[in-house]
Amino acid sequence: MKTAEKTGVVLAEKKVDQKKMRAKVKRVLLFLSIIAIILLILIPIYLLFKISVSAPQDILTQHPPFLIKNFTWKHWLKILSAGQIWNPLWKSVIVASMVALLGIIIAAPGAYVISRLPKKIKYGVLLAIFSTRMFPEVGIALPISVTFIKWGLLDTNLGLVLAHLIRVLPLMAWVLTGTFDTIPRDLEQSAVVDGCNKIQALVKVVLPLSLAGLAAGAILSWLESWNEFTYAIYLCLADTTLPIKTYYYISRGNWFESAAYAVFLTFPVMIITFVLQNYLKSDYLSGALKY
Amino acid sequence: MGKVLLLTMIKGIKKPKGRMFLMKKAYRLLLGLVILSLLVSCTTMAAPKSLKVIMGLAEEEWNVMREHIFPAFEKEYNVKIEAYQTEAQDTEKILEARAKANRMDIDLISQDNMRLATLVERGLVEDLSEYRSLIPATVIPALVDVGEFGGKLYFLPYRPNIEIAFYNSLKFAQYGLKPPTNWDELFNVARTFKEKEGVARVAIKADLSPCTTVHLFDFCRSAGGDPVVLDDKGCFEAFVFLQKLWPYLSPDSKTANWNFMNRHIATESVYLGQNWPFGMNVIVKDGGKKEVLAYQGWRGPVKESHVLGGDVIGIPKGAPNKALAIEFAKYLMSKEVQEKLATYNGWPAVRSDAYGTVEEWQRPYFDAINEALKYAEARPNLLYWDAVDKALGEAFREGVIEQKPVKPALEKWAKFIRDNKR
Amino acid sequence: MILPLILFILGFTLLPVLQCIFYSFQDRITEEFPTLANYRLIVGNPKFGDALKNTLIVTAIGLTLEMGGGLLIALLLTVSSKIKGLFRTITMIPMGVPTIVSGVIMLYIFSSNGYFNEFLYRIGVIKLPIDWAQGGIRTLLMVAVADMWKVTPLVVILLLSGLESIPANIYEASAMDGASPYQHFFFITLPLIKPFFTIALILRAIDAFRIFELPMVLAGRNTMFLGTYAYSEYFDYNNIHSSGAASTILLILIAIFVFSYVVTVGAKEGDE
Repeated sequence: MKTAEKTGVVLAEKKVDQKKMRAKVKRVLLFLSIIAIILLILIPIYLLFKISVSAPQDILTQHPPFLIKNFTWKHWLKILSAGQIWNPLWKSVIVASMVALLGIIIAAPGAYVISRLPKKIKYGVLLAIFSTRMFPEVGIALPISVTFIKWGLLDTNLGLVLAHLIRVLPLMAWVLTGTFDTIPRDLEQSAVVDGCNKIQALVKVVLPLSLAGLAAGAILSWLESWNEFTYAIYLCLADTTLPIKTYYYISRGNWFESAAYAVFLTFPVMIITFVLQNYLKSDYLSGALKY
Repeated sequence: MGKVLLLTMIKGIKKPKGRMFLMKKAYRLLLGLVILSLLVSCTTMAAPKSLKVIMGLAEEEWNVMREHIFPAFEKEYNVKIEAYQTEAQDTEKILEARAKANRMDIDLISQDNMRLATLVERGLVEDLSEYRSLIPATVIPALVDVGEFGGKLYFLPYRPNIEIAFYNSLKFAQYGLKPPTNWDELFNVARTFKEKEGVARVAIKADLSPCTTVHLFDFCRSAGGDPVVLDDKGCFEAFVFLQKLWPYLSPDSKTANWNFMNRHIATESVYLGQNWPFGMNVIVKDGGKKEVLAYQGWRGPVKESHVLGGDVIGIPKGAPNKALAIEFAKYLMSKEVQEKLATYNGWPAVRSDAYGTVEEWQRPYFDAINEALKYAEARPNLLYWDAVDKALGEAFREGVIEQKPVKPALEKWAKFIRDNKR
Repeated sequence: MILPLILFILGFTLLPVLQCIFYSFQDRITEEFPTLANYRLIVGNPKFGDALKNTLIVTAIGLTLEMGGGLLIALLLTVSSKIKGLFRTITMIPMGVPTIVSGVIMLYIFSSNGYFNEFLYRIGVIKLPIDWAQGGIRTLLMVAVADMWKVTPLVVILLLSGLESIPANIYEASAMDGASPYQHFFFITLPLIKPFFTIALILRAIDAFRIFELPMVLAGRNTMFLGTYAYSEYFDYNNIHSSGAASTILLILIAIFVFSYVVTVGAKEGDE
């Protein structure tokens, strides 16, 4: 009896151990795969960074080393001291932020309406909105830019923001429609029953619930505007954006400066996504469901 | 602190002193504003005008312009030169958008002479025929021809350019090779590198962009052919040779344009390749590859021929300050400016009476340029240039890259050119 | 509420798009309308078949890689907790890199003495460099992988916002019912994020069909895509008409894809 009991306990312990082991292995595997993905994402950026801080002889050779051998800040000092990086940086940041903000303001109400439409009409409307994005920009960027130039928006932030919104709004509308779709209509209705009017219900119930989607849309729009190129060529000459500045060094074959510029381009991206991604959490949703 | 100060100031002003006083004050303020705005507009009128210019230059070249070229003109004409960087392929876009919007704000462009037909065909530049007499007599004649379309002069010469052949002297020495001076030697060098290293090390710019067209002009013409006709004997000979050469050309040829060619040479992926002389700044000066030298290139079975490239000056239609722009064009063509450009930028001069003293390290490259210039031939200026461009690219793709029979390919695309003549 | 959105988008783009389609049916020289001359010119080029094939293959490979990779990363992001913030930020970086820059990075990696060949050489897999731009499936694979690096974040962020919108109590409930992780994934997670999956897929498909910049840098104009046609006919060969025709063909292709996807997959979703 006793021995049987004992083996039972031991077996149970073993089972627990196995479970623990398995959980541990799983966690290690998980961790390793995350590291692998991070590496894959970062390697190209690392290579650029490496080029931007290497002496020419490390890069201009048949078998370039993977690690930084002859370190130098020379190229970075050059682009930073030339003073031509700050205005484009500032312009790009302002334009991208305005695009993200205006994009939400224009697209959110529209997307809400679309998401409450009957299913068949909904897809029709979304596809109509998106049809203009299915057309290659090559042919339409010129006439669109001409309109803005006619309005005197050459070399202004506003002109570029409006142009970028054309690219961003369809994207935003899709994402936000998807977000609003996930919010049950009952929630709104119950809020109305609780004595809110329709607008209050929207602001108090739907808006907080859609924060994750709004954040996703904002990040996408910000990035889309940040790396935009075609309209910037048409609409900016005296006052250019960071991608155009980078393009200049690339097309002139300044390998080290262009690498430094390209790495520099990613800093604001990191800051913005780091800040905005906090809103991607689901806390809002679960919190509201309890309400 | 400042806020508090401001508040007390406002309060101070706001002390009630009767209606009349307030009205008087408002009136005075208004008057003051009017006078001030008049003054401002007067001063802006008196201030130097500005001349908006777009050019495609490297950073060092911009420095030369800003330090040595612009100031003298600005001072003489009391004008501010607002110059902006534009790559050749974007100049068309920028001008077209402004022209269509009826808001031309650019006074003068300098443009790569490989991309002129589009500007003329889309009506983006002024007819400058009446200013022909401004071109100095000492300007190399072929450079004037470059700016002519259908008997009209649209562009003024300002900078000649020509491709030179860059080669890695260490690698050549390693295998006891000499830079090739004719097709046979070129083929031998290409084959030797491939046999010795297993990888082909000679490249041409074969990304099928207009860069490829320039190479093809050189090859066809130096075999006595006319690339605009395309199915003549010379072109046939050139394409047959290229087809034979292709397997011994570096795989990087396919991505090589005027920009990436430099990179392939600098990273020692390519040991021999032709490119525009600015490559010396990038490869040798910035990259420190002192072993990369240059010479004029090779001749064909009939003659030696290099496409005459370079930049020309144009004035956009509807330019706000056309008269001043003409003056600036004249200034850029002057002996004084041409000598400075030669000295500081290492650009060959547009006129035969301008000599520059280039920096010591630039000297061998400069010599190669001048040697190649002796065999320079301008390209014909055709409004259907795009058809020629496309036909040459497609014929190259079929006959050389895909190694299909040369004759039918040339005949097919020669017909395409004939069909699209305008 | 929907008007500003629709007016803004269609107001600026509808006319240019229609104009471009009009040009595609207009003869370049005689200005005759309507004519199929431009379409004949493009479709008649022996390279058109290749361009069409390349576009379809690169889209298929690209979408598979991106959606698969995106889903994997998004799932990992919901599971891991400690380094989540950092991980998320890092995943987003490539999207902020302009295509022209990512082309240059990828050329450093995939050119014949690029870092990838160097890596293979050092670990002893190859002796001589591989020519990734040679054409064929190898080049398409390179283009798809290079594109994947830049665009997967879009998929990640969309799927993530879908995953995060799944209420936690649904997970709790299914865990209590004794569902295995796999059951959980296939029967709860996937159906719930399907709308987001659809959005991401369609968005990516539209851009994948139009690809041209990246292959142009990585493989020159030797490996053609429909987007390359639209670009180079206009900017290299000054022909707005044939460029318009290529654009219109692309538009139709994309529309067919999106429409058939929505009809087949979207219909199965049923009414919520």
